[in-house]
Amino acid sequence: MTLIEEERPPEHPAPAEPVLMEIVPGPRPHGLVKYITSTDHKQIGLNYLVTSFIGFLFAGLMAEGIRTQLIVPNNHFVTENVYNQLFTMHGTIMLFVFLGPFAFAGLGNYFVPLMIGAPDMAFPRFNNLSYWLYLGGFILMSAGFLTNNGAANFGWFGYAPLTEAIHSPGPGADLWIVGVGLTGFSGIFTAVNIITTIFTLRAPGMVMFRMPIFVWNQMVTMFLILLAFPVLTSAFALLWIDRHLGGQFFNYDKGGQPILWQNLFWFFGHPEVYILALPYFGIVTEVLATMSKKPVFGYKGMIGATLSIGALSMGVWAHHMYTTGAVLLPFFAALSLLIAVPTGIKFFNWIGTMWRGTISLTTATLYCLGFLVMFLFGGITGVILAQPVLDFQLHNTYLVVAHFHYVMFGGSAFAAFAAIYYWYPKMTGRMLSEFWGKLSFTVMFIGFNLCFFPQHTLGLRGMPRRIETYSAGAGWSFLNMLSSIGAYIAGVGVLLTVWNLYISYRKGAIAGDNPWDGQTLEWACSSPPPEHNFESLPPIRSERPLWDANHPDQLTRVGH
Amino acid sequence: MKVESRTILGAVVFLAATAALYWVLVYEHGHHTEASGIAMLTFSACAYAILFGYLLVQYLRREGHPRPEDSFDATMADGEGEIAYFPAASIWPAGVGLGLILAGCAAVWGLWYLIIGAILFFGAAIGWVVESDVPEDDPELQSPH
Repeated sequence: MTLIEEERPPEHPAPAEPVLMEIVPGPRPHGLVKYITSTDHKQIGLNYLVTSFIGFLFAGLMAEGIRTQLIVPNNHFVTENVYNQLFTMHGTIMLFVFLGPFAFAGLGNYFVPLMIGAPDMAFPRFNNLSYWLYLGGFILMSAGFLTNNGAANFGWFGYAPLTEAIHSPGPGADLWIVGVGLTGFSGIFTAVNIITTIFTLRAPGMVMFRMPIFVWNQMVTMFLILLAFPVLTSAFALLWIDRHLGGQFFNYDKGGQPILWQNLFWFFGHPEVYILALPYFGIVTEVLATMSKKPVFGYKGMIGATLSIGALSMGVWAHHMYTTGAVLLPFFAALSLLIAVPTGIKFFNWIGTMWRGTISLTTATLYCLGFLVMFLFGGITGVILAQPVLDFQLHNTYLVVAHFHYVMFGGSAFAAFAAIYYWYPKMTGRMLSEFWGKLSFTVMFIGFNLCFFPQHTLGLRGMPRRIETYSAGAGWSFLNMLSSIGAYIAGVGVLLTVWNLYISYRKGAIAGDNPWDGQTLEWACSSPPPEHNFESLPPIRSERPLWDANHPDQLTRVGH
Repeated sequence: MKVESRTILGAVVFLAATAALYWVLVYEHGHHTEASGIAMLTFSACAYAILFGYLLVQYLRREGHPRPEDSFDATMADGEGEIAYFPAASIWPAGVGLGLILAGCAAVWGLWYLIIGAILFFGAAIGWVVESDVPEDDPELQSPH
C-alpha cells in the first residue's frame, strides 16, 4: 500500500471536460409516451423500481391473507385452493417480480452506469425491451387469478408431478410458466446489457479494481443470471411439452423422472437465491461506507468474497433435495457449508467499514443495521439446514420458512428499503422524511421479528410449511397468533414507507446533488441526473473518486 | 480487458473442476441416474469458455494499448471523442416486447396469438433495424460503429 503522491485531485472537482458529446437528434417525449419509449437507463430503471415495488405490495397483501388464514386453528378465511394459490403467487411474485428485478434490473439500470461514469447502458433499446418482457411476465402470471381455476397453486418451485396437466388443469399453471419464463428472458437481456456496460463503458481511469462494490456485486449477479435462467427456461419448455404435447419428461408412470425437474429447477433456483442477495450486499456496502465516512474496509477481500459466493452457488443446488435420497449428500453439504466462509468475510468487512467511522444514523443506516442482524440469523439457520443430518429432521417445516424469510425479507428486502432511503434523493431530487423513515423501520423491524421468529419454534415443533390449517390440539395456536400479529405490524411498517414516498415526493426537502457526502460517482451529477448523466467527472484515482475530489486532505489510500 | 477476462477464466476453471469432481463422486457413490447436474455444470463451463475466448481475442488485439478505462492514470481527456451510439427514444422495443408477450400467450390460449404476435414482432423488428440504419452521407446522424 502506497500513498499516491502525484496526481493529487484539485481542490474542486475537475474542470468540465467532455465525456459524451454525441447528442442524438430525435424526439424527447414526456409523460406516458416517455414511459413507453424511453431508452434512458434512468427512466427504465425507475420503471423497474416502481413496477417491482407494486409487485412487492401485491405479494405482501397475499402474505397478509396467508397469515390471516393461519391466525387461529381450523380457520376458514380462504379455501384450501385459494390458500395454495396465495402462497404460490406470493413466492413467485416476491422472487421473480420484486426482489430480483428491484435490485438487478431497477437499481442496476439506474446506478451501474452512474457509478462507473457511463453515459447510458450499452444497448439502450434492448434495455427498454427487457422491461416490457418483465412487465408482460408480471401481468401474465398474475392474470391467473382471473381464470376459472385460479392462479398456479403448486408452490413457487412447481414440483413434478403436481404441475402435470392432470393435477393442475387450466390456464393458471400455463400463465405461471409463460409469465415466469418472460421475466427470465428479461433477466437474461438485462444481464447481457449490464455486463457489456461494465466491461466497455467505464470512464477513463475507472479500472475494474476501482469500481464500487455495488457494481462488482451486480456483475457477479449477472454472471449467475446468465447461467441460471436458461436452465429454468428449458425446464419450463419441457414442462409445457409434458402438459400440452403429451411429453413424459417428469411423469414417473411413463418412465419420466420427477427428480429431473428438481435438479433442473434448483440448478436455477440456488444461484437465483444469490441473484436475490448479492446486489443487496452491494447496497449495504455502499450505504455503510458512505454513512461511516470511510472507504470500504477490505475492498479486494470484499470482491473476492463476492466472486467466491457466486462460484460456490453454482454447486449447491441439491441441498434443497437432501430428503429425496437421490443426491450426493457429502458434496452438496460441503459446498453449502463453504459458502458461510465468504459470507463471514463480508460481515467482518461490513463491521470493519463501520469501525471507528463517523456513523450518521440515518434511516438507510438503520435498515442496513437491521439487515446485518437479521441476515446473520438467516445465515445461521442456513448453516443448520445445510447439514443433511439436521435437514432430514427439519425439511419442509416452518423452520425453513423462517430461515428464508430472514434471508429474503429481513436481509434482502431490508437492504432494498435502505436503497430506497439512500438513493431516493438522487432519483427524485427530494429527501425522504427521516421521521417517517425511522418510524417505518422500527415498526417493520418489530413486526418482522414478531412474525418470523416464532416460526423457528413452530418448525421445531413439527409444523409443516404450506398447510392451510391446523388443529387446536397441535400446540401451534399461540405462536401462529403471534406470527400473524407480527405480519400485520410489518405490513403497517411497509405502508409507512409508502406514505413517506408519497409525501416526500411532493413536499420533501430539496436534496441537492450530494446530500450524504457520498463517495461514488452517482453523487457527482445533479439530482435527478440529466440525460447522458455527467457534465463533468472528477479524476478517478481510487475506489471513491468523488470523496477524493471533495476532501483533498483525506485522500483514499490506494495501492496497485 | 485483463481483469475481466481473468474473472471469466476463473469461472471456467471453477465450473470445469466442479463438474469433474461431481462426475467422479456421483459415479463413485453409485448415483448413476444423476446425469443432469454433470451436464449442466459442463455446459456452464463451456458457455463461459466461449465468453473467455472472445475477451481473450479482444485483449490480445489491444496488447500494449490499454483502453483508458483500463489505465490507472488516465485522465478524462483520454476518453474524449464519441463513446458509443446512444439512440433516442424509440417505440420499436415496446412493439417487439408486445409481440413476444402475445407469442407467449399462444402457449396458454392457442396458436392465434402466435400469428398476431409474430406479425407484431417482425414488424417492430424491421422498424427497429431501419431506425438504426442512419444515412451514410449525414455525418450528424452517423453512428460511429
